[in-house]
Amino acid sequence: MEKFKSIIRDYPFIAFIIAFVILAFVPSVVFTDVYQSHLATLIFVNIVVAAGLNIVKGYCGQVTVGHVGLFAVGSYTAGTLFLYLGLGFWATLPIAIIVTAFFGVAMGIPSFRLEGPYLALATLGGGEAIRLFIENGNFFRSTFGISDIPTPSLMGYNFDSPDRYYFISMTIMIIAVYFSFSILRSGVGRAFMSIREDPICAAAAGINVKKYKILAFILSAMFAGAAGAVYAHMPPGYIHPNNYTVIEMVTFLAMVVLGGLGHIWGGIIGAIVITIVYDLTRPLYKYQLLIFGLTIVLTILFMPKGLGGFIDRYFLEKRFKKKTGTEKTT
Amino acid sequence: MILKTKQLSKSFGGLKAINKVDFELPKNEIRGIIGPNGSGKSTFFNLVSGIYDSDPGSYIEFDGHDITFAPPHEIASYGLSRTFQLLRLYQDMTVIDNVMSGYHTRVPYKFFDAVIGRKKIWDQERAIKEEMMELLSFVGLADYAELNASELSGGQRRLLVLARAIAMKPKLLMLDEPAAGLSPVNVDNLMKIIMQLKEKYGLTLIIIEHILKVVMDTCNSVTVFDHGQKIAEGTPAQVKDDNAVIEAYLGKKMDDEEMRKALAV
Repeated sequence: MEKFKSIIRDYPFIAFIIAFVILAFVPSVVFTDVYQSHLATLIFVNIVVAAGLNIVKGYCGQVTVGHVGLFAVGSYTAGTLFLYLGLGFWATLPIAIIVTAFFGVAMGIPSFRLEGPYLALATLGGGEAIRLFIENGNFFRSTFGISDIPTPSLMGYNFDSPDRYYFISMTIMIIAVYFSFSILRSGVGRAFMSIREDPICAAAAGINVKKYKILAFILSAMFAGAAGAVYAHMPPGYIHPNNYTVIEMVTFLAMVVLGGLGHIWGGIIGAIVITIVYDLTRPLYKYQLLIFGLTIVLTILFMPKGLGGFIDRYFLEKRFKKKTGTEKTT
Repeated sequence: MILKTKQLSKSFGGLKAINKVDFELPKNEIRGIIGPNGSGKSTFFNLVSGIYDSDPGSYIEFDGHDITFAPPHEIASYGLSRTFQLLRLYQDMTVIDNVMSGYHTRVPYKFFDAVIGRKKIWDQERAIKEEMMELLSFVGLADYAELNASELSGGQRRLLVLARAIAMKPKLLMLDEPAAGLSPVNVDNLMKIIMQLKEKYGLTLIIIEHILKVVMDTCNSVTVFDHGQKIAEGTPAQVKDDNAVIEAYLGKKMDDEEMRKALAV
């Protein structure tokens, strides 16, 4: 067991390969109908977005409310590339990631001068502008949406149903989570956190604040772009501007806040919980926004570090007690 | 000379916070900076470390680099580290993360290695963590490594800030009131740790301090600021008897004749 632990510590990707294998067997063993596969794909897409949002908001502390706009950019890049050039998933995914990265730069530039709620307002404007641009542009099929975006196929095998598409979204999710995990555990994650806590002190400690802020925006934009492309190609392959409103943004925020801002697994835990709750409460759709708003407020009030921080705290106090023999007093 | 300023000036609106200061600091010296409140000591620190931009005509040189227009992170990468009067602790990070973030300028690997997550990175990260744990146990905070920085007491916070500033192995360490708010016993303890760190890492120190005993006991030389100007410089003994210094702190020294004149008016 000790040896296994040290191998995982040196080569963390082995843990992700194990997770991949386990998740690959989930549909055939656990799921009872196709809808559950579809739900799982949604969870994976949300995990990718939330993991990216956790980088910029949880770690770097830049309050962005326009992230759903970047998600839309990813989706619509994939959609329009199919519409006008007939490109398939394997071409649109990388292009969507790159295009969204550029939009991430644009979204991040206000963060040089604005902070907190002011930055939130600026990015909210950015996100809404993107959605309105899509909704009012004939180029993007405006309110008709883009339909019949094809599912990917690999070596003659077409991932054309939810239980097949599950594997595509799962793979992307595992890769994205692995990248976020390695970035945040390294010195880059620490630099992000120092900027969140105190940008002036971070600068005096040798961290290039502007560079790291924009880096955080680019990274999270790339995550959103990848998620957007996966979402666009998901069967039945239909995207519509209404899928990228502020309501979706609140849901993404609720995921990150509930999971734990600045916790390495934060967005992932939150995405799983919120997506499932969202689905179970569909009959109460009138109250869903109310529920998520309340979730954010209550979590911030009573569990400021979210579920992830709550679990961490429990183990930390146990360890501290063992080491020093004293109760931790706070 | 490790640090040199020429005609360093900074004004906020009409107020000249720092007015044409020429400052020179040889290597391995411990320099104390004293002066009444608002005399420009902290502004001087902020100018040197690049937090503020200096007025036109100023010149700052650090270790052979012209840093007059350099941004703070570049100055830090040349080996200048500082602490803040208001600590600026990373409250929501663990103690060990606080110290490790001070290591940033020395992190050896590239960003893309970190993205891919190569084994080399984790080895290096572990080596950094070990080194920083050593530093923490040196200042006596090793037991608290995994707690949040906000959970430390006032004295421990001062030690943590010191450890964080040392983590980048600076050539010059600028301490802004390191002992503010500590009890006399803790002050002695802190100064002892600072002196040990100086020996261990071969630091050059600049210390702003209001506790004159600390300055007189530990510093090789003292610079006195008043109203943004350097009014005296020399060994502690010289400065103590300098008329300008006494005037700045206590008011003008007068003989009987002058006193009678002043009171008669």
